[in-house]
Amino acid sequence: MALLEVENLKTYFTSRRGDVHAVDGVSFAVERGKTLGIVGESGCGKSVTALSIMGLLAQNARIVGGHVRFDGRDLTKLSERELEDVRGRQIAMIFQDPMTSLNPTLTIGLQMTETMRRHLDMSKQDARRRAIELLEEVRIPNARQRLEDYPHRYSGGMRQRVMIAIALSCNPKLLIADEPTTALDVTVQAGILDLLDDLRVEHQMSMIIITHDMGVVAESADDIAVMYAGQIVEHTNAEELFDHPEHPYTEALLGALPQLEDESGREGRLTAIPGRPPDLVGLPDACRFAPRCPYANRNDGCAAHNPELREIRPGHLVRSAHPASERMTTAVTA
Amino acid sequence: MVVDPQQEELRLSELTRESEGGHYEGGAAVNQTSLWRDAVRRFAHNKAALIAMAAFILMLLYVVIVPWVVPYDPNAVNFDEAYISPTWAHPFGTDEFGRDLFLRTALGGRISIGIGFAATFFIMVVGVLYGAFSGFVGGMTDNALMRFLDALYGLPYLPFAIITLAIFGTVNFWTMVVALTIASWFTTARVMRGQIITLKENDYVRAAHAIGARRHRVLFRHLLPNTLGVAIVFVFLELPGVVLGEAFLSFLGLGINPPNASWGSLAQDGYTQYLSHPYIIVIPSVAIAWLILSAFFIADGLRDALDPRTQAAA
Repeated sequence: MALLEVENLKTYFTSRRGDVHAVDGVSFAVERGKTLGIVGESGCGKSVTALSIMGLLAQNARIVGGHVRFDGRDLTKLSERELEDVRGRQIAMIFQDPMTSLNPTLTIGLQMTETMRRHLDMSKQDARRRAIELLEEVRIPNARQRLEDYPHRYSGGMRQRVMIAIALSCNPKLLIADEPTTALDVTVQAGILDLLDDLRVEHQMSMIIITHDMGVVAESADDIAVMYAGQIVEHTNAEELFDHPEHPYTEALLGALPQLEDESGREGRLTAIPGRPPDLVGLPDACRFAPRCPYANRNDGCAAHNPELREIRPGHLVRSAHPASERMTTAVTA
Repeated sequence: MVVDPQQEELRLSELTRESEGGHYEGGAAVNQTSLWRDAVRRFAHNKAALIAMAAFILMLLYVVIVPWVVPYDPNAVNFDEAYISPTWAHPFGTDEFGRDLFLRTALGGRISIGIGFAATFFIMVVGVLYGAFSGFVGGMTDNALMRFLDALYGLPYLPFAIITLAIFGTVNFWTMVVALTIASWFTTARVMRGQIITLKENDYVRAAHAIGARRHRVLFRHLLPNTLGVAIVFVFLELPGVVLGEAFLSFLGLGINPPNASWGSLAQDGYTQYLSHPYIIVIPSVAIAWLILSAFFIADGLRDALDPRTQAAA
C-alpha cells in the first residue's frame, strides 16, 4: 500500500461570488521512498492540495469531499489535536519563501529544537545536540555558534537549509516541499534540490515537490502530476512525461521551458501559452483547457463535457480529447 | 596522484579554520546590532523623546524621594501656616489647613502615578489577552468578541468608571485601578487584535502550525513576542489616559478620599479659591500635564524607535 493516497480530493473556498473550486477531484498516490512532483501554474490548486493534506487550510476553505489516506489513517477525519501530532512528526512541510518562514524574534536554535521537543520527548540538551548535527547535515558551517543567531543573520539559501533541517528533525515519513526553490537564486536552487534529494534517500522519506518549474521536477521527481484549474490533467512517471507528453497543456509547459540551443534544436523565442486559466467559480461542464487549447474545436465535445482522466498507456493518465498520440493517428488516417 | 592522508587532513583543517575566521571577521565587520540596540540608538537621536524621558524620570524621582526628605506631616492641620504662598520653606506653598503642598503634591503623585501604572498594567494584560485571543481564533468567535467590544465602546467612559466604583461601594487605590481598567481596556484589545490578525498571515506562523505546534504555543511563543514593540508604545499611550481619568474622578469628588490626596483631589481643593490662591490649583494641574505630556512624547519616540518604517510620517 502506498504511503499517501489522495482520493478524489475536493477543496473549495467560500467567496462572495460562490464556491471557488480550488481543488476539484484530485487523486494520486505517493509510494514509500518515492518523489512525486506536482506541476502547474499559479492558482491551479497545487499548494491548496498540499495544505489540504496537512490540514492547514485557511478559514474560508474546506474539504468538501474525498479522502487523504496516510499510512492507513484518513487525515480528513482527524481532529485538530490529532492532526497536530501528525504535522512535523509524520509529515513535514517546507514553504516557498525562506525569508519569511522563520520567526524573526526567536533564535535559530530555539526554532530547531522546538519541533523535536514537541514530538520526540527530548531533553533540551539532546535537542540542541541533534540540532547541531542537523545543521551540519544541511551543510551550515559553524553550526554550534550559529544556533544562537537570529534569522536575519542567515542568507536566503541558509534559511531554506534551516527549514529543511527543521522539517527533517523528527524523521518524517513524508516531506512536502511547496516551491522550495522559487524564492532563491538560480545558483542556490540546484544546491538545495541536490540536498533535498540526498536527504530524502538518507532518511528514507517520500517527498512531494510542488513547483511551477518543469526543470525542478525533471531532476528530482519519480512521478509527475500536472495540474490545471484544480484538476490533474496528466500523471505519469517523469521520463515518460518528458519524452512523450500527451496533454496539450503539458506540451505547452515544456515548450515554455528554456533550453540550451544545441540540446533540442529549438530556436528563437520561448512559446507562451495564450489566454489565462479559467475562473474557478461556477465552471461549466467543459474541458477546462479548451479555451487555450490549439486542438479544441466545436464538434469534438470539448465544450460539452470535461474529459475523464484515462489511461492512454499503462501508467500514463491524461485528461484530454486530443492527446498527442491520438492526434498523430487521426492525422495519419485522415 | 597519491594523496598523503596527513597532508589531506591538514589541508582540510586549514580550510575549515579559514572559513571560521571568515565568519568571525564578517561578524565583526557587520558590527553586530540587535533590534533593541537599534531602537535605543534611534530613541537617543530623538530630542523631544529624550527630554520627555528626562522629565518623566524627574517626576518619578520627585514623587518617590520628596516624602522621605521633607520633615512636615502631610495631614497635620496648622491654621497658623495656612495659605502661605510658595517660599523656600514651602516651595509649593500651603493649603487652607496649613499643610505643605510640596509634600502633598508628591504624595498625591504617588497615588496618581501608582494608580496609573497599576491600571495600565491590567489594561495591557486584559487588552492583550482579549485582543490576541480574538484575532487568533478568528471567525465567529472573533466577530462575537468584537461586537461585544463595540457595545462597551458605546458606553461613555466616565459614567462607566463611576458605575463600577458605585458597585464596589468604596473608593480606594485598588477599586480605582479596577474601575479605570474596566473603563479603558478596549483600545488596547482592538489594536492587539489587529496586530495578531496581520501577524498570523506570516509564513512563520504557518510554519509553526506545520511543525505541529499546539495552538497556544503558536499564539504565545510565535505571535505575542512580535507585538512587543506595539505593546510597549501602548503602555505610554494608556498611562496618560488613566492618570487623567483618575484625576478627573478625584476632581469630581468621586475618587481618592481625604485626608489622602491625588493630583485630582488636590486640584479640587484649589478650585474653590482659584482667584485668591491660584497656586493651589495650578501646581497639581501642572503636575498632571507634566506627566501626560512626557508620556505622550515618550510614546511617540518609542514608536519611531521600535518601528522605523513609521518615521517617514514624522
